[in-house]
Amino acid sequence: MDKLAKQLRRDADRIDVSVSEELDHRIAASLRSVSPLDDSPLAVPPQRPALFWWASSLTGIAAAAAVILIVNSSQPEPAAAPGPAAIAAVVPDIDWKSETAVFTGQLQQELDALQSDLKKAEEKVKEDIGL
Amino acid sequence: MYRLLRTETQLIEAAQAGSADAFADLVRRYRDGLLRFLLTRCASYADAEDALQDTLINAYRYIRSYDPRWRFSTWLYRIAIRNAANGRSPDMPVVHELRDEESDPMLQCIADSETENLWLSARRLLKDEVFSAMWLRYAEDMSVNDISIALDRSASWTKVNLMRGRRALDAELNGRNAENEAYG
Repeated sequence: MDKLAKQLRRDADRIDVSVSEELDHRIAASLRSVSPLDDSPLAVPPQRPALFWWASSLTGIAAAAAVILIVNSSQPEPAAAPGPAAIAAVVPDIDWKSETAVFTGQLQQELDALQSDLKKAEEKVKEDIGL
Repeated sequence: MYRLLRTETQLIEAAQAGSADAFADLVRRYRDGLLRFLLTRCASYADAEDALQDTLINAYRYIRSYDPRWRFSTWLYRIAIRNAANGRSPDMPVVHELRDEESDPMLQCIADSETENLWLSARRLLKDEVFSAMWLRYAEDMSVNDISIALDRSASWTKVNLMRGRRALDAELNGRNAENEAYG
């Protein structure tokens, strides 16, 4: 034991304390008024047989199958696709009265005018160069 | 019947069966040491006595959960340390702040000496847990493993803090010796 340990031990012994008779009686009376708590349910968890796990698994699977069957059987059947006759009965008959539009007439006139301008320009160039 | 029982194990078994007398007999050898330890952690002598009473009642109440792999004294000190920590109310003065002899129960119980008791310095210099570790090691001769169980700390934490505590008290002791030599 080194010097510090010796000194600490000596100084601890110099703290002079003892339980008084009064405290002794008090503690004894307190101890008689309580009893040890039973910790056995906490210390040892209840053991279940292996059969329990099989039984619970099978019950779970059966319950899942039952739920799937109930859900499927209670679902409404999908409506049949309507036939052409049914569509004709529903869709109103529209009388389309319109003429075919002529979109190329104006473009043709424009093309003719451009070709005429081009011809005039060619002739003028020929005159200028003396051909 | 309990008076015929001799070994600690037999007394523990009798206490676990519900014999308060066996338990009282069992803890008789530890009571003074526990009270001395609690005196260093409590603000008054009455608080230390109350803490001891609570410790023993709790120990008896939970005696069936006692793990025989532990030393019984280690288990008791673990309960005492928790009681001392839980019993300290926020408005209670911090122990190491007590200076005057009238209010400090530890000072009242120290026999007169020329030098200051080193545990007073320890209480002033060390944190509560480190103080407790030092006390259990050097006043109660507990092993590092038992101290770590009592404080609910790892063995490495205990070793490191015992070393720190020793270093602080070594410096204090060397300082005193140097002072004595200078005046001597």
